[in-house]
Amino acid sequence: MLRTQTSRPSLGNALLRLRCASALAVVAATSAFGSTAHAAGTLAGTNIENIATASYDAGAGPVDIQSNTAIILVDELLDVTVVSSNPGDVGTTNGATNAVLTYQVTNNGNGPEVFTLTPNVANSGDDFDPALSQVVLDTNNNGVYDAGLDTTYVAGTNDPLLTPDQSINVFVLTNIPATQANGDRANVSLVAAANTGTGTPGTSFAGAGEGGGNAVVGTSGADGEASGFLRVDAASVVLAKSAVVADPFGGTTAVPGSTITYTIVATISGAGSLNNLAINDPIPTGTTYVPASLTLEGAAQTDAVDADAGNFNGTRVSVSLGNVPAGQTRTVTFQVTIQ
Amino acid sequence: MKHMNAALLALATAVPAMSAPVELASDVFVEREHKRADGTVATVLEAPKLVVPGDQLVFVVRYKNVGTQPASNFIVTNPIPRAVAFSGTMDGTEVVSVDGGKSWGVMAQLKVVKPDGSFRQALPADVTHLKWNMNQTLAAGSAGKLVFRGVVR
Repeated sequence: MLRTQTSRPSLGNALLRLRCASALAVVAATSAFGSTAHAAGTLAGTNIENIATASYDAGAGPVDIQSNTAIILVDELLDVTVVSSNPGDVGTTNGATNAVLTYQVTNNGNGPEVFTLTPNVANSGDDFDPALSQVVLDTNNNGVYDAGLDTTYVAGTNDPLLTPDQSINVFVLTNIPATQANGDRANVSLVAAANTGTGTPGTSFAGAGEGGGNAVVGTSGADGEASGFLRVDAASVVLAKSAVVADPFGGTTAVPGSTITYTIVATISGAGSLNNLAINDPIPTGTTYVPASLTLEGAAQTDAVDADAGNFNGTRVSVSLGNVPAGQTRTVTFQVTIQ
Repeated sequence: MKHMNAALLALATAVPAMSAPVELASDVFVEREHKRADGTVATVLEAPKLVVPGDQLVFVVRYKNVGTQPASNFIVTNPIPRAVAFSGTMDGTEVVSVDGGKSWGVMAQLKVVKPDGSFRQALPADVTHLKWNMNQTLAAGSAGKLVFRGVVR
């Protein structure tokens, strides 16, 4: 339907040359099969022609004869595979938009074929279903989703045409719900189906093949499917606060004049990081903040709002920790005296 | 020149020698396995209505001496179609070529040049031509067939 077969020299002529030309160039074995070096096999629409020749002597000198030509038209095999290009889970975050999963669709048939792509975000056996944003074809074929450059796929409008052995990268973009737990996974699958038809292997579509032959469903069923997985990386923080009392007499009694050293340890767990994390702690009633006693990770902080992370505004201490990766801790200390 | 000589010669000789008294016919079938109801598998030859890469083909070359004279030095040659990977013959009496018909031999004696210039043992899929040298005279009225198999590349 798309390709015209290229003509080639007839076998009869080739034979004649073989027989009468003793100086015929050697046909290298490696080049003899050059026209059929497709993983997908002989191209659909190719005629396989067989002619036998014979020679004999019936008393009047050698005679050469030739058989009829037995011809077989190679039909179109419909086969496609889809594989995920992401070796493992793709990390994403709560509320993320256009999380990208990548798939490779390959025409394993022996004729050019158009494929319909169908994403599925609602697979069972996973933790959540992201919302489908769009399916995108890797127009510039660099394996990376380029927003605005690669073409959005619309089923029935720009179904990709793949020649035998040709592949195309397909991106499935989804949006992540806002409140998934750390480690939650989503299975997003992509199906590619031959537009000529699908079915159990061996199903044939008369006359629908490339080059005028039939189309036959191959071992893949003429449709392929693969899953990619998204994993939500959500970090969380736990604050642990402890106090050590030192009285004016060298003991640990909480009396007026005693100093209390508070230690706040922020432990970030989960995966990913927490952004713009800040710790605020009001000074307890009945106590007075000890000026310039605030520390972060053992480093003294001034009380003013300035370049360092900590400040005291008269009623509370505040420390800006910035973006903290999961698995780390931050320790803040400050002192008050009991009134 | 050769053809003209043959034509002149034909005028002067007897009628039976004029027409080719040996007929040669080529046929091709697809070999398929069908499961019988009892679970056994039957291999049948079908007309090639549906052929895709990987299918097994069976080529049959029939010959018959339809003349009145015996035919000696009877040799049958069959180039393997490019899209077919030769896999074997039924009788094994053939010689093969893996270089387009330049040199001939039994499979075990033939070598193929690899891209790096070294040699390797020839494999059935390397075969480009088949040839049967019949050592007996084909008597008038006698017939036979030669069968070889291949796989659609």
